Amino acid sequence: MNYVYSNIKKGFLNGIAIVYLMVKVIIPCYIAIELIKHFGLIEIISRFFKPFMGLFGLPGEAALGLLAGYLINLYAAIAVLTPLDLGTKEITTMALMLGISHSLTVETPVTHKTGVNGWVFLFVRVILSLASGVILDLLWKLFL
Amino acid sequence: MEIILVALKNSIILTVKLLFIILPLSISYEFLKGKESIFQKKGVSFLGITGRGFVPLITGIIIGLTYGAGVIIHSIRASNMGKKEAFLILLFLSICHAMIEDTLIFVVIGANGFVLIVFRFALAIILTYLLYKSRIIKG
Repeated sequence: MNYVYSNIKKGFLNGIAIVYLMVKVIIPCYIAIELIKHFGLIEIISRFFKPFMGLFGLPGEAALGLLAGYLINLYAAIAVLTPLDLGTKEITTMALMLGISHSLTVETPVTHKTGVNGWVFLFVRVILSLASGVILDLLWKLFL
Repeated sequence: MEIILVALKNSIILTVKLLFIILPLSISYEFLKGKESIFQKKGVSFLGITGRGFVPLITGIIIGLTYGAGVIIHSIRASNMGKKEAFLILLFLSICHAMIEDTLIFVVIGANGFVLIVFRFALAIILTYLLYKSRIIKG
């Protein structure tokens, strides 16, 4: 019984620590995107990234979510993507690309410690992430 | 000012939704910790991953790289596995990690979880298999 209680307590505390980290990025990122939308900057950003994001069948403004996920973490990406009101296909593509490649600033040193070259893996993950985005877009158009 | 308050409210709602996913998961992970020995000796031979590589593989797929890092680094280093096997495991995990948490948090904001899981597993298996069969890295 003690074992169950201590596991629940430890897991709960770990969860709260994660949520604290989450709140610190979600609130500022969410507010920043709403302000960017409010002042009409989103159209400019969208137009700028449109040729690149078009490769994955995504609107230009989704580039902000991709950058937030690559450089900060998935929670930042979610906070950026939610106010953008994307459809199921767009969110799924973003989730796939970000699932493969995210928090690169934190995870690259982790892979490095296993003895495998971390820079090789950074490169592999970004390439795989971009390639999967292109492939999923094509598959979705063909089958769904 | 109103726009900031609305954004604040919505971002708190989003955080609470994510909280309901994160808490049960982090509690379940505590119960899984230390249970790794159940998996030992089961290799995934067609991908070039042996029994000693199975624990870091499963830990990474379920928990992910950031939180599973301790177990992954320890089991790769402690088992003296070859460079090729370590590379195969990390290739698989770079595509397919934290599959429960990552999938669920995106399902909350509208993603198709089935597509995500199938695509990531298929891509990881195909690429790991191709690298295992190729002679790019020597065992």
